[in-house]
Amino acid sequence: MVDFLSNYSIQKWLESCPQGYLEDTIYGHGADEREPEELLQNDDYREQQIRTTVQLIAGERCALAASSGLVNAAPDQASKTFLATQTLDEGRHVEIFTQRLFDLGVKPNDLESTIATYINPHLGKFAEVLLEKIDKKDFVAGVVGQNIVLEGMAFSVFEMLHAGAEAANPKFARTLSGTIADERRHVGFGENRIGDLIRRYPEKKPEVQRMQRDMTKHMLATFHEAFARNGGPAEARPSAPQKGKPAPTYQGLNMAEASNEEMEGALSATVLKEFKTRLGRIGLEYQSPV
Amino acid sequence: MTEADNPHELGEAEFRATVHSFEFWFEAVEGYLHGRPYGVSPGLEEVDLTERQRDGLITTLCNYCVGETAALDASSGMIGFAPDRGAKIFLATQVVDEGRHLEVLLHRMKQLGVADPDAEIARRANRSLLKFKDRLLEFVDARDWEASVFAQNVILECLEFTVFRHHAGTADPVTAEMLRGIVSDERRHMGFGENDLGRRLLTAPHTHDRLYKIKRQLDSLVLDTFAETMGELGIEREERPDLAGDYLAAVARLGFRS
Amino acid sequence: MTDPLELPKAGRRPRQTFELEETGFNEVPKRFRRFYRRWRGPGDKLGPNEALCPVCKVVIRSTKELRAGDRVYCMPCMSRLELVEEDGMLIAKVIY
Repeated sequence: MVDFLSNYSIQKWLESCPQGYLEDTIYGHGADEREPEELLQNDDYREQQIRTTVQLIAGERCALAASSGLVNAAPDQASKTFLATQTLDEGRHVEIFTQRLFDLGVKPNDLESTIATYINPHLGKFAEVLLEKIDKKDFVAGVVGQNIVLEGMAFSVFEMLHAGAEAANPKFARTLSGTIADERRHVGFGENRIGDLIRRYPEKKPEVQRMQRDMTKHMLATFHEAFARNGGPAEARPSAPQKGKPAPTYQGLNMAEASNEEMEGALSATVLKEFKTRLGRIGLEYQSPV
Repeated sequence: MTEADNPHELGEAEFRATVHSFEFWFEAVEGYLHGRPYGVSPGLEEVDLTERQRDGLITTLCNYCVGETAALDASSGMIGFAPDRGAKIFLATQVVDEGRHLEVLLHRMKQLGVADPDAEIARRANRSLLKFKDRLLEFVDARDWEASVFAQNVILECLEFTVFRHHAGTADPVTAEMLRGIVSDERRHMGFGENDLGRRLLTAPHTHDRLYKIKRQLDSLVLDTFAETMGELGIEREERPDLAGDYLAAVARLGFRS
Repeated sequence: MTDPLELPKAGRRPRQTFELEETGFNEVPKRFRRFYRRWRGPGDKLGPNEALCPVCKVVIRSTKELRAGDRVYCMPCMSRLELVEEDGMLIAKVIY
């Protein structure tokens, strides 16, 4: 365990993240990259992007509250150290997605009201389930909720958004690729650290699995509402600027042609498959909310 | 040079948004941490320490670890009740700074031959500093922003800033370079605390009396810790840095009489 | 935006201007580094365009000569300061 945790030191984090893939970036993207003009000029398209970005901010605010709360509950120094880097990663994500809202034309004074207008209520409930465990300083449940469930969801959502934005919006795609790189560390830590704790405290299993079921229920409701309101990633729409490239694909679906239901189904199936695999590896059984 | 590059031409809100950001932290620490694994330039040579010097340094590093663990636990806990987004993001940068301090201090202890740093810390930790830590974490658990900022970012950071700066001036080259990197971080933490609290006291003067009582409770713990640390480092009373000067000046700027 | 340091005051000699060089100070983002330097201790002497931050003991530098009433920022500790004259000396005070 000590050797595994040494891979998550702050020194390693400094070398791989700020001095690695984030070097020469500003708010996670290249200094000369901008939101596409076509997006900024089209009110519907811009509103879809604002709505999507608001959900990312809400998710990252929850992750910031959760990871910082877990530092205090961590049973050993090495876990505290890793969670310190995760806290800053999440703080950075809040900052870069907030900056994206400003880049999309939201005024700083309107930030909170914009978030309140567009936030998906199910995402708030998803966060509540997790933060309740954090408030109780329940490290095992907190790490499963944060680093397996929340991060697992974020990882897949970012990958889908990245697939949609890669050709049409290189700035947003670059921002997302940095967050995906961060999430890899977070899910890796969650799986590796918590597997050991689940083996040591098997009595925690039923409670943790209940939490996973509740969070999954709210996550699926979030996806349903998001796709019903917004459809797939806006960049993947036929009207989006593709710069002469073929339409993006996600899980074998042509994102420009797939229906909202198909996109929702593909994302949900991907996330749930990931959950089952990861939970199985740490000795937990996936609980379906249905 | 563009107008945006002259810090003195920024508006107040713009200045605060700039310095309380990940971007600012990221570009600032790059300056003094890049190419310095564990805070020290590769190739910087160790000097021989006497057994007494080595033992004194280990005790001191153990106590620095207690202080940094307190700051790590407190700053991470404070994110949950920080009053705004800027403060939350600033605290996220402080969390990683404190985690790094702990990491480099533990690394240095290992270089000095300490096999089990945790056991050594438990054995050598200063009782007053442990009491201070408990008190600080009580404020955090109570989600008391003003008391937490005061105890951590004003009192504890001021103690560390003074002790580390002085110690860096007398320590062996490896320890000195490591400490200078920590001091560069402490400037941000201390400044954040004093300025946040200063603004708060202007609009809520009733807070003043409450914080003054807290200060009186914590003063003796801080001063005991300081005196003991100076003793471990073998610094004679007349050569000790003026903690009272730095600390009392900071609290005097906030309007606290001593 | 008007630079408050450039506002002329009747009857005063014009302010001196300064070209700022890098000082080796490395605790803020690159573009701001020349505006700060380390304090070298009691023997150090402040230039007419410099002020000592009372919070973190870093020397703040300006492209213009500093005078009482000027406001400057200390980025290393995030403080806003105003210069005041006390006993014939220019002192930086924190404004919260």
